[in-house]
Amino acid sequence: MIAKDDIRDVLIIGSGATGAINAKVLAEAGLDVICLEQGGWIERKEFVHTHSDWGWERNSSWNPDVNARSHPDDYPVDSDASKVLMWNGVGGSTNVYGAIWPRYRPSDFRKGDEHGLQPNWPISYEDLAPFYERVDRLLGTSGLNGDPAMPPRPACPTGPLPFTPAAQRLSKAFDKLGWHWWPAEAGVISEDYDGRPGCNGCGLCNGCPRGSMTLYSQSVWPKALAAGAELKTHARVLRIETGPDGRATGVVWKNRITGALERTRARVVIVAANGVGTPRLLLASGIGNSSGMVGRNLLHHTLVGAQMWVDEPVNGHMGYVASMFSRQFAETDVSRGFVNGFNFNCLTSTPSAGEMTAGWHTGTRAPWGKGHHDWFERHFGHSIGLFAIGDDLPNPENRVFLDDKVVDEDGVPIARMHYEPGENDRRMMNYMLDRLEDIGAAAGAYEIALTDYRDKDGIYRTPAWHMIGTCRMGDAPEASVVNSWQQSWDVPNMFIVDGSVLPTGGVVNPTPTISAMALRAAEYVRDSFAELSATTRTEAA
Amino acid sequence: MTHPSPAAQMRLTQALASLADVLLPGNDAWPSGAAVGVQHAVLRRYIEAKGEDTLAQLAETLGAHGLPLLDQSDAARTDAVSAFESNDPDLFGWLQDASYFAYYEDASVVALIAARGTPYSLRPHIKGYDLPKFDLETQTPTHGRGHYIATKDVRPVDISGLELDTRITTKWGLQR
Repeated sequence: MIAKDDIRDVLIIGSGATGAINAKVLAEAGLDVICLEQGGWIERKEFVHTHSDWGWERNSSWNPDVNARSHPDDYPVDSDASKVLMWNGVGGSTNVYGAIWPRYRPSDFRKGDEHGLQPNWPISYEDLAPFYERVDRLLGTSGLNGDPAMPPRPACPTGPLPFTPAAQRLSKAFDKLGWHWWPAEAGVISEDYDGRPGCNGCGLCNGCPRGSMTLYSQSVWPKALAAGAELKTHARVLRIETGPDGRATGVVWKNRITGALERTRARVVIVAANGVGTPRLLLASGIGNSSGMVGRNLLHHTLVGAQMWVDEPVNGHMGYVASMFSRQFAETDVSRGFVNGFNFNCLTSTPSAGEMTAGWHTGTRAPWGKGHHDWFERHFGHSIGLFAIGDDLPNPENRVFLDDKVVDEDGVPIARMHYEPGENDRRMMNYMLDRLEDIGAAAGAYEIALTDYRDKDGIYRTPAWHMIGTCRMGDAPEASVVNSWQQSWDVPNMFIVDGSVLPTGGVVNPTPTISAMALRAAEYVRDSFAELSATTRTEAA
Repeated sequence: MTHPSPAAQMRLTQALASLADVLLPGNDAWPSGAAVGVQHAVLRRYIEAKGEDTLAQLAETLGAHGLPLLDQSDAARTDAVSAFESNDPDLFGWLQDASYFAYYEDASVVALIAARGTPYSLRPHIKGYDLPKFDLETQTPTHGRGHYIATKDVRPVDISGLELDTRITTKWGLQR
């Protein structure tokens, strides 16, 4: 039974990074904003970071993979390959992410021109750059200006984080190879900023209850709430409703505290439910999919990793998890045998001795028995981790779709997910693994372990932090789900602001780009609100 | 729900303690797994992860491999645990990982790590680690390497030689 009927200016579905930004911008403009979030707030004391068993907990009850934990705020995702990393609650996945903060590069927006195996974006790097900068100022991003491998940009609001011994060791290896490297940009403040304390180098960088890492629940939501936005938690949206004119009229949602179904109407609906939740909701609602692209072209990035051990102590358990980037291979060079490029994300190591002995990053477990303690003394404090992260090509068969039989407790079909790397991705992986071995050799590692994330049956089970592409933006309604303002082609007062709209993945962690785009879309909604309140047609912008 | 009898429960705890001592034997520098109580955390976490109903099966599996390994030589204990590892790698791996985590979150083990000269804290999030600030003068890269293609300079590349549709990579990843 529908318990209530209400009407608002703007209704936002999901309170993660992009929902938070939209709530802030639109509430500050004086609009009546409500955000519905299926999870709850996480208070600082609820995080496990101050527990003595935090290492175990972050691999069990706080595991970022929804299928590796049991949490009542989650919804079922049946993946036949990828792990599904997300968090459902205020702040979304920023509660458990690492806040590595690189930008896309200009060519990432022009892959259609470059080789045609991916679409061009309908916007350019230059369109987005001002929004990157404003998001950086909002959050207090840290980093070092002047990287010759990226376009010029203003200095980060806070300076670079400490250049750890692991970073120093790797930088010498990259120098030896003649490869680019640069200290990492991070969504972590290196000094006190906006009432939040600077990073203390604890190394527990999956979420950060002290707020040095930007959790949107701490950095953005307080501003949105102060501006008058209403955030309703434990409110799971079951469907988006549309009227005869094709406009969204609002949503039906379940109050997870009382069990009641409620309806909230709105003049503009903003979907911010991530690359799995958003296509699931659109498909379950039967809207927005005249292109047939909803849920398709799921991108995760082409990912492989390495762990190396060096004689000199580097104490990689200390300091922010990412130390530096190498953009040496970021651009396409077809002589490598594939299109697109990749970055190296250089890490420190795990902050947990237990986690390292249990096979952190590459599954390299410490031996049991009499050799265990010798192994530990030789390896702990000597470990360095690396990722190679590449731009995977879209494939319509890599997708999020609805199960045709199984529904969740609310009667909504569960999300299913399929992903496997294509030919270009496999070639890139092989090349990346060879280069990781080059780095290990140049660093003088006495041991190096690689991971390709394939299980014993050969299935690529990537830790898929990045779930993008499933509601891609584009120039044409027949090939995309939203236009350049992230406005649905089919439902003119519905916007999609999460990572699902990214047509390509670039070679980087996407949250900075997703956040910048969300800010851009929010300001468009703000500035066009009167028109959006009545329009029945989406224009190609 | 079938709960093990108190005696069976005690024997299961003994079996996990015995396993912990083979996985993490003590020596002059380090305590054994059982000495720091690894078995208690492992049992608690096993129940949380798998449920009480699975305890009888766990006890049966451990018992089938001779655990607890009372009054046996080191070699015999090692042989028994090796057989367990080979016969049931998934369960063994879970218990191995749980034992390692429990061992290294013990305060006395953490103190031993720190005493070796490696700064290491049981709860580092509270006070963090002292790290020197980034030194702009000495740590800013001076290599001058790196480039990007500006938007206006993006040009088509010739992909005809890649044969992505016809030349299939069958050996990839670690099998490459």
